[in-house]
Amino acid sequence: MIRLGVRLTVNGGREAVARLIVTAAAVALGVGLLLVTVAGINAVHAQDVRTAWLNTSDHNLRPSVNEATSDPLWGLASLDDYRHSIIERVDVAATGPRSPAPPGISGLPRSGQFYASPALTRLLRSTPAADLGDRYPGRQVGTIGPSALASPNSLVIIIGHTAAELSQTPGAREVRSIETAPQGGPGDRHPGRIELILAVVAGALLLPVLIFIAAATRLAAARREQRFAAMRLLGATPRQVSVIAAVEASVAAVGGVIGGFGLFFLLRSPLAAVPFTGQPFFPGDLSLHLSDILIIAIGVPIAAALAARLALRRVQISPLGVTRHVTPAAPHAWRAIPLLAGVAELAFFVGRRPATTSGQIRAYGAGFVLAMAGLVIAGPWLTMLVSRVMARRTGRPAVLIAGRRLSDNPRAAFRAVSGLIVALFISTASAGVITTIVAYHSASTGGVAGRDILSEYFGGQDAGLGLQHPGQADVSDTLVSQLASIQGVQAVTVVRADPLTAEGPNFGPPTGFVSCAQLARMPALGRCAPGAAVASIPLEFGSGGVVAHPSGDASVRPAAAMSADRLKALPVHALYVGTNGSRAAIEHARTTLEIAFPYAGSPSTIGEISPGNSQLLAGWQQLADVAIIASLIIAASSLAVSVASGLVERKRPFSLLRLTGAPIGVLRRVVALEAAAPLVAVAVLSGGTGLLAAHLFLRSQLSESLQPPGAHYYLIVVAGIVAALGIIASTLPLLERITGPEVARNE
Amino acid sequence: MTGAVGLSSGDGSRGCLIEARDLVKSFGPTPALRGADLSVRAGEIVAVMGPSGSGKSTLLHCLAGILVPEGGEVWFAGGRVDAMRETERSALRRDRFGFVFQSGQLVPELTAEENVALPLLLRGVRRSRALQETRDWFERLALSGLEQRRSGELSGGQAQRVALARALVGGPRVLFADEPTGSLDSLTGEHVMELLVAASRDQGTTVVLVTHDPRVAAYAEREVVVRDGKVSALAGDPVRS
Repeated sequence: MIRLGVRLTVNGGREAVARLIVTAAAVALGVGLLLVTVAGINAVHAQDVRTAWLNTSDHNLRPSVNEATSDPLWGLASLDDYRHSIIERVDVAATGPRSPAPPGISGLPRSGQFYASPALTRLLRSTPAADLGDRYPGRQVGTIGPSALASPNSLVIIIGHTAAELSQTPGAREVRSIETAPQGGPGDRHPGRIELILAVVAGALLLPVLIFIAAATRLAAARREQRFAAMRLLGATPRQVSVIAAVEASVAAVGGVIGGFGLFFLLRSPLAAVPFTGQPFFPGDLSLHLSDILIIAIGVPIAAALAARLALRRVQISPLGVTRHVTPAAPHAWRAIPLLAGVAELAFFVGRRPATTSGQIRAYGAGFVLAMAGLVIAGPWLTMLVSRVMARRTGRPAVLIAGRRLSDNPRAAFRAVSGLIVALFISTASAGVITTIVAYHSASTGGVAGRDILSEYFGGQDAGLGLQHPGQADVSDTLVSQLASIQGVQAVTVVRADPLTAEGPNFGPPTGFVSCAQLARMPALGRCAPGAAVASIPLEFGSGGVVAHPSGDASVRPAAAMSADRLKALPVHALYVGTNGSRAAIEHARTTLEIAFPYAGSPSTIGEISPGNSQLLAGWQQLADVAIIASLIIAASSLAVSVASGLVERKRPFSLLRLTGAPIGVLRRVVALEAAAPLVAVAVLSGGTGLLAAHLFLRSQLSESLQPPGAHYYLIVVAGIVAALGIIASTLPLLERITGPEVARNE
Repeated sequence: MTGAVGLSSGDGSRGCLIEARDLVKSFGPTPALRGADLSVRAGEIVAVMGPSGSGKSTLLHCLAGILVPEGGEVWFAGGRVDAMRETERSALRRDRFGFVFQSGQLVPELTAEENVALPLLLRGVRRSRALQETRDWFERLALSGLEQRRSGELSGGQAQRVALARALVGGPRVLFADEPTGSLDSLTGEHVMELLVAASRDQGTTVVLVTHDPRVAAYAEREVVVRDGKVSALAGDPVRS
């Protein structure tokens, strides 16, 4: 029977071969997308494995060497900025011959030597030393190999010191091994990043790709079923028909799998160069494990066979023809409960913000997950409601036919766009939150003018590393003059803090003090009350993503009961360098500050350290953009396939309708509506829910109202929807071809 | 040239509603019509008979403006159908003609009622009015109670009656029926034919009926035969009233 199935599939005439080719091509596209997705996940994992050494701590999860026999290594990791790019700087000092070395270099650099990544090497060569190179002491003795870099574009530098020098440096740590575990160690700088990425990718891409493959294997199912009825008439048993159906689907799927692998290997190199996660991959990163290959190569044909057999259970194939079983039961209203519960949960916490960070993560995380899952659960019910309204109210034949078809099987219509709803919800919610936080941050830090101010902090936490720096005793007048002499630098302001009152998160917002004479030259930071010599100023001003809530009129800083002499005696907390915004002025001033305070952390403009410029958030946004466009395109492909299948199923009534005078435009509108209605409805619904969830979160966490996302967000959504509609439009020529008068005659 | 069968040739102004003159039509190398002539008077019921492959369905499709003949002319109510553009022919089929085919003509997603209302909706009639007009047809064709059924929930005879209602609901001048009972058993087929003839007579609709079944053809007032792409009158052509 299997042999007969293969023969029928391959030698079944031109139509059968055409069907086989079209199905195999669609499966190939789906498998290609699936392989790219799996390889993308592997690539992100490979990046994490290679950059695990940057998470090195004194409690490594998977030490690179036996810590009992190794010599200690002094190390200090910090982040530097250059023109909105992050440079990873690692200062090291060996204490003996067995001190562990980071990967990618032949040996630890000695004092006065450094290794730089290829991209940073190029940057150092092409940039004036005063803007960048002067920050790094010593001479370059080699380049860091790919085994230590996330991406070919990574900017990394490893600088050698003597142990005596580095051990005295604030924040430096003594370690006995290098971390090789990709994440989760105490020094992990991006905890949860991989899970987050995997969750987004899996939720937004894998599911729709699988649905697309399933839809592709069901192409022209109605025609197959008619043939099966004829076979039943000839005496074939239902079991034999079922086996033949499975064989047919498997043959197409095997062809599709081969084509999919070909597609993947063809596109691997160009795709690796696309910065999906903010940075391009090494071509080898987009690789497949043997288990991935086996699961896909074997799993897809098996799944196709099972899907074909299951599909046959939905119809009754008798010797006299094919009858569809009764329309599946309609989805119930209870499906809306999880969505409403998620929104209600987020609304509950407005004005009741949990006190602890973990409590906030639990509260908001649960709300967002519930709302997202609720959308997926409620989708078929909402699709049914909308399509029923369409069908009941309309007097337009196209809307009537499309509405009836959608309401007949809302689960199938929604399934094709379910991945999209996840991607769009996440993307919209994150765009809403990021836009609002950036706008809020901008408002609380002097607006646009504040973004041109370079800040060097001497107190608080170093970004991302958990290292504590004490305040700086003082800043020399020479340094201030040096900074002021840089072309484009307009003013220098020193903020000092009283060590007895400045720190301590449980005692209200910490406060610093600033000279009114200096503040007058930097109005973006505010102004003093008339007659005041010293003013209070928030210490959290623009620091490390912590946003202070602006209270009252932020532009007038309250006067401090302190003399100018007393102010000078306090330790320096921060140094602000006002610039005209030119990149040359900012980078030159940054280099000057880094030379003066090499271990105080990288000076940043307020714009650079705002959440909108955080590399993690930017990467997250980038990924969300990729997910949204990819899921829109995949959803549109699934819709196009299901529309094409639906057209073939209704070939005869549609061609007869056209024959009896129905304009082709009406049938075009039917096709467009059947595909575009769920797509657009879901886009609006998930976008709206994402914005609502973001608003509730912002009201609860920051007491701020949602700011509408910027043009970038709308551009991505519109571009994705246009691409999706383009794919749907590609089915229209099929409609004209299969409903022509000649077809009706020959049916 | 063979003269028009049954009536003097004309362009609609001389009594006949629809007329084919010397039609030629081929499908690839296979000729289907080779100089076919036919004229049909207003209100007449004509059966076009002939063996399989004789060209009878092609003749019907040319008369209805579905196919454009390669040679000859088709006239309807004084207008030259074969010279019309596709959009004009579509409008003619939608507004002036009705069609009943052998099977599979109902849109499966729509209820029986919506299927019947479809031609009216296509003409821009308001939904409520269109549904109102369909109700009368459900009663006339003994379909009451089946309004909300889908095509898969109807028997063959019921589906064919729904198709008949759909063909007649717009008050067409001509009803083209291509093997309307071909997929029905003889009893059900007779019932459908009785309804078809009665409804057409009530409305004064002209009927062109293609069939190979003499029992179906017997419902017509006049029978013609298509053989080898040409039309000839049946010997002893009986005209029934």
